[in-house]
Amino acid sequence: MIAGLKHKVAAAVACMTATGMAFADADLDRAMKDPGNWASQAGDEYNQRYSALDQINAGNVDKLQVAWTFSTGVLRGHEGSPLVIGDMMYIHSPFPNNVYAVDLNTQQIVWKHTPKQDSAVIAQMCCDTVNRGLAYGDGKVFLQRADSVLEALDAKTGKVVWQATNGDPKLGAVNTNAPHVFGDKIITGISGGEWGVRGYISAYNIKDGKMAWRGYSVGPDAEMLIDPAKTMTWADGKMQAVGKDSSLSTWKGDQWKIGGGTTWGWYSYDRAENLLYYGTGNPSTWNPTQRPGDNKWSMSIWARDLDTGAVKWVYQMTPHDEWDFDGINEMILADIDVKGQKRKTLVHFDRNGFGYTLDRVSGELLVAEKYDPVVNWATHVDMKTGRPQVVAQYSTEHNGEDVNSKGICPAALGTKDQQPAAFHPKTGLFYVPTNHVCMDYEPFEVEYTAGQPYVGATLAMYPAPNSHGGMGNFIAWDAGAGKIVWSKPEQFSVWSGALTTAGDVIFYGTLEGYLKAVNLKDGKELWKFKTPSGIIGNVFTYLHKGKQYVGVYSGIGGWAGIGMAAGLEKDSDGLGAVGGYRDLQKFTNLGGSLTVFAIP
Amino acid sequence: MERGFILRIASLAVAVAAPMAALAGGDKPLYTVEDGNKVDPATYNGFKVWRAAACDRCHGPNQEGMVGPSLIDSLKVLTRDEFNQVLTDGRMAKGMPAWNTNKKVMDNLDDLYAYLKGRSDGAITSAKVKKMK
Repeated sequence: MIAGLKHKVAAAVACMTATGMAFADADLDRAMKDPGNWASQAGDEYNQRYSALDQINAGNVDKLQVAWTFSTGVLRGHEGSPLVIGDMMYIHSPFPNNVYAVDLNTQQIVWKHTPKQDSAVIAQMCCDTVNRGLAYGDGKVFLQRADSVLEALDAKTGKVVWQATNGDPKLGAVNTNAPHVFGDKIITGISGGEWGVRGYISAYNIKDGKMAWRGYSVGPDAEMLIDPAKTMTWADGKMQAVGKDSSLSTWKGDQWKIGGGTTWGWYSYDRAENLLYYGTGNPSTWNPTQRPGDNKWSMSIWARDLDTGAVKWVYQMTPHDEWDFDGINEMILADIDVKGQKRKTLVHFDRNGFGYTLDRVSGELLVAEKYDPVVNWATHVDMKTGRPQVVAQYSTEHNGEDVNSKGICPAALGTKDQQPAAFHPKTGLFYVPTNHVCMDYEPFEVEYTAGQPYVGATLAMYPAPNSHGGMGNFIAWDAGAGKIVWSKPEQFSVWSGALTTAGDVIFYGTLEGYLKAVNLKDGKELWKFKTPSGIIGNVFTYLHKGKQYVGVYSGIGGWAGIGMAAGLEKDSDGLGAVGGYRDLQKFTNLGGSLTVFAIP
Repeated sequence: MERGFILRIASLAVAVAAPMAALAGGDKPLYTVEDGNKVDPATYNGFKVWRAAACDRCHGPNQEGMVGPSLIDSLKVLTRDEFNQVLTDGRMAKGMPAWNTNKKVMDNLDDLYAYLKGRSDGAITSAKVKKMK
């Protein structure tokens, strides 16, 4: 009866969806086609974070109540979300990355996986010991541990089926990202841009954990899997081949070897094109004077063939980064109207404050506009060259080493960090959790020592001056026009992944710990509930016994974590630091729990 | 080499004239500070080590704490030996690295301590310091 309902919905969806490519994972496909499941971190391969469930809707969401809760036993930043496949929920924790399989019928822990990791890895993690969640496929649950070990666990027993070592944590190559199953591969990235790690993305076979390919972000063409004649990029108003040594020629000497470009965001996949999409992070170090050149292909959007890793196109958003504007944020795939034309697009909200819309098949740049009006480091993106037009006053290179460049917007944590946005097919709009924070940035000379921090700048961050005084906004964005449709101010950065539903409700969490439901149409608040700790996790939804549930992790931490307040410059109090992150301590404390809601 | 020598002489001269100096035991000042932000060369070197090791990522740009504890508070409690031991061996479970493989930190523990103690004592009034002229 219960299963019947889930299957009926599944069958209806399956009929609408064309069968995927030959190597698709049938198990995951089945699971994802049933909207009663939450089978991948974004709920789909497109990163849309949209659920077809509509029992909870704008008319009844104010009746939501807590159905059950679960403590992960870890008091650190909780990012990502659990997965739900059938009657089983898979819950993860920050370091030491414990995994629990919970039977939704009994809420009993069916199995528990407690990896033994060297605690030295904690110190190698730049911004709290977060983990962005698990992946599912082929009857396995995949865990990307902090120490870079990728594990495949039997979904029924939790037994380790295979392990792969993805990096060397002694050199700072650690992991925070969720692995993603696309086709018969599991894709994972690497962190460590602040340790001089040369970034890469890797594909492992889901069956046996053997590496299928690895593509570096910087360096020789062959190691990036770039074909100088075939890999395309946007230049002079059209797509052109990148040419020979497109990365090497943009670095001084062999600096690319410690050049960064790490890959710790959320990835997406277009089956029809068989293309994998993701972004690369900052070039190392944060002191731009020390690494002349465009530092390609750090800070870039990539499209790679899933089977071979070959790069079809690549676009650099922030050449020669001077602000730590990592380009790793999620790539959302959606077919939307752009200037009156239906396009297969990729939409990306970059740390640098620009919302980018590209043709995801060709790589053509369609739209690049500010999604927070306070963004000031560049006047605009030149649509012909694709390059941001940098304002000298806010150029930390122009101002030089040991000079404090003040009032740069956004701050290094970006107009948005990793917290993923959501898309709603009915409105064709994107719903974006954002930061409204500016910074002072002082670069200084730094030497590279293997396995040691390689940062090279001191930062102070504070709420955007001359604005509403808060440090965040939750906005609706028209990616075809490059315009904000509505914007809801928040006291703190919105560091929680949004969820849109067919019930015309949007959910997101706040750093004070509220889970909020807002109206799809205008962002009006319909309901909120204070969870035990600040929310930096992503909202998810599922059906169990025919009933819709909504859940979210709470557990403050991450870069936006509670302690940031104390780091604010005393002299920035006048700019509004009072009422900034410092106040967060009045609202919440460390935590580590899952709260699940339903209408009784 | 030559430059270092001149600086050492200069620092001696300043130490004598400085309005604020904390004693490390004996008569040698632990640090010397003028106008809250001009410090002797050794303390300035401590600041440079603090920056190079990116301690601010956890302890905050003003040492007031972030993911890691406030060093303004900690340096009021830690003995000198404890300071060395925490730096050398770390506090792994809490995320404090063992710096024993980082030569720059290990060779300059005295200077780093002087800088942080000066901040903790309130004698050095801003995290960013300059070298005394």
